[in-house]
Amino acid sequence: MNRRTLLGGLFAAASVPALSACAGGITSLDGEGGASGGGGSSKGGVTIGTANFTENQVLGHLYAAALTGAGVKATVRPNLGTREILIPALKGGDIDLLPEYQGALLHYLAPKATATEEGAMQNALTVALPAGLQVLPYGMAEDSDAFVVTRETARKYGLTSLADLKKQNGRLVVGAAPEVKKRQVGVVGLKEVYGVEFKEFKSLDSSGPLVKGALKKGDVDVANLFTTDTDIQANGWVVLTDPKNLIPGQHVVPLIADRKADATVRRALARLGNVLTTAQLTELNRQVDKDKKDPEDVATAYARRHGLLK
Amino acid sequence: MTIDWSWLGDHTDDLTTLTLSHLQAALTAVLLGLVISLPLAVVAHRIRPLRGLLLGLSNVLFTIPSIAVFVLLLPVSGLTRTTTVIGLTIYTLVVLLRNTVEGLDSVPARTKEAAKAMGTRPLRTLLTVELPLALPVIMAGVRIATVMSISLVSVATYIGDGGLGQLFTDGFQRNFPTPVIVGVVLTILLAVVADALLVALQYALTPWRRRRA
Amino acid sequence: MYELFKNLGTWLTSGAQWSGGDGIAHRLAEHLQYSLLATLIAAAIGLPLGLLIGHTGKGAFVAINLASFGRALPTVGLVVLVFLASGLSMWPVYIALVALAVPAIVTNTYAGMTAVDPDVKDAARGQGMRGHQVLRQVELPLALPLIMTGLRLALIQVVATATIAAYVSFGGLGRYVFDGLAQRDLVQVLGGAVLVAVVAVVLDVALAGLQRFLFRHRTA
Repeated sequence: MNRRTLLGGLFAAASVPALSACAGGITSLDGEGGASGGGGSSKGGVTIGTANFTENQVLGHLYAAALTGAGVKATVRPNLGTREILIPALKGGDIDLLPEYQGALLHYLAPKATATEEGAMQNALTVALPAGLQVLPYGMAEDSDAFVVTRETARKYGLTSLADLKKQNGRLVVGAAPEVKKRQVGVVGLKEVYGVEFKEFKSLDSSGPLVKGALKKGDVDVANLFTTDTDIQANGWVVLTDPKNLIPGQHVVPLIADRKADATVRRALARLGNVLTTAQLTELNRQVDKDKKDPEDVATAYARRHGLLK
Repeated sequence: MTIDWSWLGDHTDDLTTLTLSHLQAALTAVLLGLVISLPLAVVAHRIRPLRGLLLGLSNVLFTIPSIAVFVLLLPVSGLTRTTTVIGLTIYTLVVLLRNTVEGLDSVPARTKEAAKAMGTRPLRTLLTVELPLALPVIMAGVRIATVMSISLVSVATYIGDGGLGQLFTDGFQRNFPTPVIVGVVLTILLAVVADALLVALQYALTPWRRRRA
Repeated sequence: MYELFKNLGTWLTSGAQWSGGDGIAHRLAEHLQYSLLATLIAAAIGLPLGLLIGHTGKGAFVAINLASFGRALPTVGLVVLVFLASGLSMWPVYIALVALAVPAIVTNTYAGMTAVDPDVKDAARGQGMRGHQVLRQVELPLALPLIMTGLRLALIQVVATATIAAYVSFGGLGRYVFDGLAQRDLVQVLGGAVLVAVVAVVLDVALAGLQRFLFRHRTA
């Protein structure tokens, strides 16, 4: 367990030739972009971007391991930020591939989308995606957004579902990553679908130390966490149910630039998608967050165990 | 808050990569800063009205939070090393410009007149008389700019770069102090070593000051 | 670029943007609170230390190198480190800001003290002044310009760096920068940055005015 590990992808950042971003921005607009489904080549290697939370980095390294197993050179750039930052970077050519989540991605691209079933969402995504980008088949593993309260808060205000929040309008403080304030699967949708209005929105992080710390301390009443976060169970927190299906299914789905989407990449990522379960992904997250293992080590070990990497 | 020594042992390669990447960003920025500030400083030194404008402008730049500069560069240069280097360069300018102008100011008028009287051309005077005499003050600026840049690189971790700064966000997200402590210590070490090397460089570049001392 | 600045104008002048918990007025007040309190604490630590070192001449090495060390200290790292040690509290913010400000204050105070002509000090002692009298009545007034330079430098840096409070869940104008980054709302980022710069410049001008006032007072 040593050598090229969690931050291995970073050297890629260091060795990006100056001004490549500008060049990439221009080339990504050329004819090749529109042809979804073909014409891409992973020969030059694939750069995987990951968002600023543990699981996305685990997924990025799982993608990298699967691609390496298929003979494609893959580099991971860890911790680049939010979807709002990553997708323009994908279009601009700074990165080629992103581990994404079906419903959240769909609502980012098309806030008014109504599809909730996996197949329908996949179709809607294909329609909503800008030219030059495509989603590959989604995987089995799922990680949804969840709105969570402590057991005491649930009892005090009689909360079991998102619909119950409306009764406490103007009284509760919600904590989430800053981008959730503007997202459909977030404050916007909670108001539209459930009529919920919070007393205050606190900008924290994505299922990270800030939002969990604030929930524990009582600084926030409602916290936006991920369902694959083992701390929910460990602390006995209550996940509010979603009777009106505001929160869509969140299967993990690769979002890739057309220019890199060749048959080898598709096959490698599909194999991973068909193996990785939600429970396994949750366990991998736990190993990184709690056992302090490197995402790369955890992902490589998993890929070896499941024959994705020799 | 204890250090997990085995983590340290397991990550020597990563730490080397990050340290080099960190150093590369900082040094590139200082070099670029020098290349830009030298001509600007000569202009500011010669043309008085421009002097206040340039120095004032660079002072205002200093008051803008560095993270905002990195973010605002995203539409220009994206999530790349280029963004980091441009951002850092802007901050080095503040120090380098001021010190270079002050260095040029510190050259006695008599010396310049003597050079002129000997028929030396202005450009030659600048290169062979003024700049060497201004070197101590310029080098003081280079030292400050270098140490400052080394410390600032880590802010670029918010846009996915940041060299050793990656250790800070990683440790933060996982509630894991070891990478953070290691990152802070390495950053300070890097700054101290770079500063010492610059002192040695200045010593080598200004032999006339040694004899006097 | 033009679009960005046009939108910035709208952002800065809309009434809604100024009111409420996430409004500019509130964020501005928070930012001032963090910056001024941190600089005051730093002055309370740095001024006596710089005066002591300058007066006694002991620890000069520390005073000279502290500034360099202060510049080398990565603020993000320090904030995270204190966060991991103390949890969700204001400690990370204040410790990091004070650590940033103290070196500038100590080094400049010390430099101001050493710039005082030794003959003047000797003359004061020759008139029978005690050590603390020399410090208060001779050294301190003469060192004041450089001491003020240190304070102004510290304050500017603290105001720009107080942005980091938002990284560990707190407010201040940094909220706009970090939220704008997460939402890729560059107008918000630019708005936050411009406001921080304005606060820094205004406070600097105010301190410069105070400095002039103190001088006039002394020579009168």
